[in-house]
Amino acid sequence: MAITKERIGALFFLLLSIIYGYLASGIKLYPGDELDPMTARTLPLVLSGLGIAFSLILLATGKHEEHRGNVFALNWKPVILLMLLSLGYGFALDWLGFLISTTLFLMAGFRILGEKSVKKIVLVAVPFVFIFWFGLTQMLDIYLASGRIFGGA
Amino acid sequence: MLDGIFTGLQTAIIPTNLFMVVLGCFVGTFIGMLPGLGPVSAIALMIPITYGIDPSSGIILMAGVYYGAIFGGSTSSILINAPGCSGTVVTAFDGYPMAARGEAGKALALAAYASFSGGTISAIFLLLAAPMLAHVSLSFQSADYFALMVLGLSAVAAFSGKGQILKALIMTVFGLMLSTVGTDRATGVERFTFGSIDLLDGISFLLLAMATFALAEAMMSVLERVDEGAETQDMSKLGSMKLSAEEVKEVAPTVGRSSVLGFLVGVLPGAGATIAAFLAYGVDRNLARGKKKEEFGSGSLRGLAAPESANNAASSGSFVPLLTLGIPGSGTTAIMLGALISYGIQPGPRLFLDNPEVFWSVIISMYFGNVVLLILNLPLIPYISRLLIIPKPILIPMILLFSITGVYLVSFNSMDILIMVGICALAIFLRLLTFPMAPLLLGFILGGMMEDNLRRALLINDDSLSFLWERPITLTIMLITILVLVAPLFQKTLKRLFHVESSPEGLTID
Repeated sequence: MAITKERIGALFFLLLSIIYGYLASGIKLYPGDELDPMTARTLPLVLSGLGIAFSLILLATGKHEEHRGNVFALNWKPVILLMLLSLGYGFALDWLGFLISTTLFLMAGFRILGEKSVKKIVLVAVPFVFIFWFGLTQMLDIYLASGRIFGGA
Repeated sequence: MLDGIFTGLQTAIIPTNLFMVVLGCFVGTFIGMLPGLGPVSAIALMIPITYGIDPSSGIILMAGVYYGAIFGGSTSSILINAPGCSGTVVTAFDGYPMAARGEAGKALALAAYASFSGGTISAIFLLLAAPMLAHVSLSFQSADYFALMVLGLSAVAAFSGKGQILKALIMTVFGLMLSTVGTDRATGVERFTFGSIDLLDGISFLLLAMATFALAEAMMSVLERVDEGAETQDMSKLGSMKLSAEEVKEVAPTVGRSSVLGFLVGVLPGAGATIAAFLAYGVDRNLARGKKKEEFGSGSLRGLAAPESANNAASSGSFVPLLTLGIPGSGTTAIMLGALISYGIQPGPRLFLDNPEVFWSVIISMYFGNVVLLILNLPLIPYISRLLIIPKPILIPMILLFSITGVYLVSFNSMDILIMVGICALAIFLRLLTFPMAPLLLGFILGGMMEDNLRRALLINDDSLSFLWERPITLTIMLITILVLVAPLFQKTLKRLFHVESSPEGLTID
């Protein structure tokens, strides 16, 4: 059996459906719930069964697809860096506040994607973030707390 | 009905809503032009903005973004041979060859006129069909709704193209699974929360939509270097935008035919602008004779007009099941359903009675949207298309920023950003394995409603599933569901009949 994209996906969903089904069987029920035609467990258990069935069919029938290029040849580095940057942005928002963390996020994003001119990076990011912040706080009246390091909530 | 039209007109012509139509069309056109970003992402990016405004204005803005994105997708198909969304893949077949021989202006104008005509014809159909269907569906019960939702989910899988049906079904089930996370609405029992307070209310629809579409599509465009190597057209030399009387005469029947076909395809749950465009192109090429037939694929006017009329007509058509039954037929309308629910509005037959201003203003604003696209966007295309030259290193981080802050500014919970990045990573993995995302969103949005309706139907029918075959409406819908699921077995025959070509990615749902 050749390993294809379809089969990798099928295996992933088979595993997911089994774990989901196992967790579904552990959903707590209130006394008397078992007399109801449908409990909190019913749909999850049905879905788990359907997931397992569909994954098995895909696993059995998944054909070798046309060559669509090597996954490793894709542009992974900037994508991984952008993901990490987004995660960092999530943490930074609380600590540094919106203005600083967003400016840093944009500047780092531009750099990761290959923008080399520091002048351009700063000249685009800073006014953009300021206008965005102004629009949110002054025009849409959205409260944006300053970061924890500045004593914000 | 006339009362309704006046109500819709009154709501649609207030300056805020007119502004929303114009803004929606512009933003949609711009985002639609960006290769890799489709209407679903465009609408998802708009949702946080619409939370702060009136529901009618919000849905009008999103509707404007929808057809703006389709129009923008056509523009990039014609100018740079890089369809902005799957619904405009066919547009590139004849649009780009026209642009390549120096008739970009004419191709853009024809696309705009065909879109306008398709949109107008289907808006009239929508005006007539939606209230009728809404009246009929008032007699629907929980059992029928459950059956309709099963039909909607099955149809999305069935129409998802060769080799994609099982994957679409799996993604639908995955979406349904995600919808069960949180507190069960009927019993109050916690499900799959792992003790986390953040998951008690379930996964946010906005977060899921942004992570699987806007964020993931932006990341995929970096990963696959989407627009690198695309041959760009000199924007300043678009050529004449005029069509001769003879050319208009040649495309008029095509536009009429394709609009009707597009609307009908759009109404079907699961089928959408992409399938409508492919079908209309296939039908028209089949009907063409001699030299005209040979022109298809090398800059045929009919080959451009057919998909353009059909995809716009289908966009309007897809609002019929959404507005009348509350069942979205595509990823795009699914996202709109999610937004409407978060406004506290439940689409379906009651929408027609409880919120007539929303129901009618959407229909009326669709027409306004088409007018805006024609009289404002078309002349401005040379300028809007210049936005395409914004370098990717600048544009992508901005899209990421809008996606992330869009979610953060609703919940102010930075944990959401972390969950979003996690879901985005999963979405990229699944996209690389060619699993479609729209069924996931559809399953997620319909999951809760499906469970509620099934529970209610079982209670009404003394714990028996007999309603599935005893109620004529339910039985009919279930039979259609079976038919829809077996239809792909006859795909070859249908293809032969319509001479439909498959896109490299298959027929993806928009």
